Amino acid sequence: MTITSIVNPDLLSHGTLECSDTPATRRFLTEFLGIDVVRPLPEAQYLSKGGPWTVVCVRVDGEQKDQGPQNRFKLAVGNAAAVDDAHAAALRHKDDYGIRRIEGVEEKNGIRSFRLQDMNKVWWEIANLTQQHYDDAFARGDYKR
Amino acid sequence: MSAPVTTQAKPAAAAVYVKPTALISGTFVTRDLARTRRMCEALLGLECVEPEKGVLLIRERGHRPGEKLAGQPYWVLEAREVAEIAVPQEMLNHWGVFVSSQAAVDAAFEKINAQQKEFGLGRVQKPRFRHGSYAFYFVDGDSNWWEIEYRTAELLYTSLRQKGDQVDPQAP
Repeated sequence: MTITSIVNPDLLSHGTLECSDTPATRRFLTEFLGIDVVRPLPEAQYLSKGGPWTVVCVRVDGEQKDQGPQNRFKLAVGNAAAVDDAHAAALRHKDDYGIRRIEGVEEKNGIRSFRLQDMNKVWWEIANLTQQHYDDAFARGDYKR
Repeated sequence: MSAPVTTQAKPAAAAVYVKPTALISGTFVTRDLARTRRMCEALLGLECVEPEKGVLLIRERGHRPGEKLAGQPYWVLEAREVAEIAVPQEMLNHWGVFVSSQAAVDAAFEKINAQQKEFGLGRVQKPRFRHGSYAFYFVDGDSNWWEIEYRTAELLYTSLRQKGDQVDPQAP
């Protein structure tokens, strides 16, 4: 089926978040979350973990606004045990990395996950997700109403 | 005698606590999933599916078997329908798509600006050059901001990522 649209993008390319302390944020992203980070500009760092898409971390002055847990970024880890390990590490190193909030681990339909809010009030979800999970969802199509 | 120069010890081999396989998804909320789906499909040219009531998954087109991006990794946006937007978003929290030329940005702006009401959009900003990109932003009916962007090959995010740090990572 051919769908005509106003925009015909090559790529869903990026999302953005804000930070105030660039070095401290990088330390959290690389040491704790295990994300790849480069800094091409004084006011921006680029976050990635495989794939062509990027999350742009923009430095802002002053206090960041709360992004809200419903607006968050998801990190996939290899299995359910890795989620539990990450949760334990978050509790253990909360103060080291300025983590503001850590929610409990939940499991729904075989996906184990938890959410945390970082020093910049940005929310992250760590889950045992895979690309196959999304491949299957797109292949199945819409739920039956 | 001058005091010895001391250096701060580096953390031992920088332990990584979370070991992600991918930065796999971003999420946002909407008060009207059907409206968001229409915007993502008919305006932004993205592929959508509703795997369950109140949830919309969004990716770029072309990843289905036999299509040009089949088997390639992709990023997913996950929208959930809510009664109220608890935390309105601002421009610095946006989602972006790449188009293939500056002219495509201009064409998109003209059409989106003309159909602003039809898609229930808020403000549609004019295209401008900024940090090597040519782009414009618009906000949807739920305070989610979107960017339509063109960059030359050397300024693509992936190209800049490959170059590594151009600014001291420890600089404030």
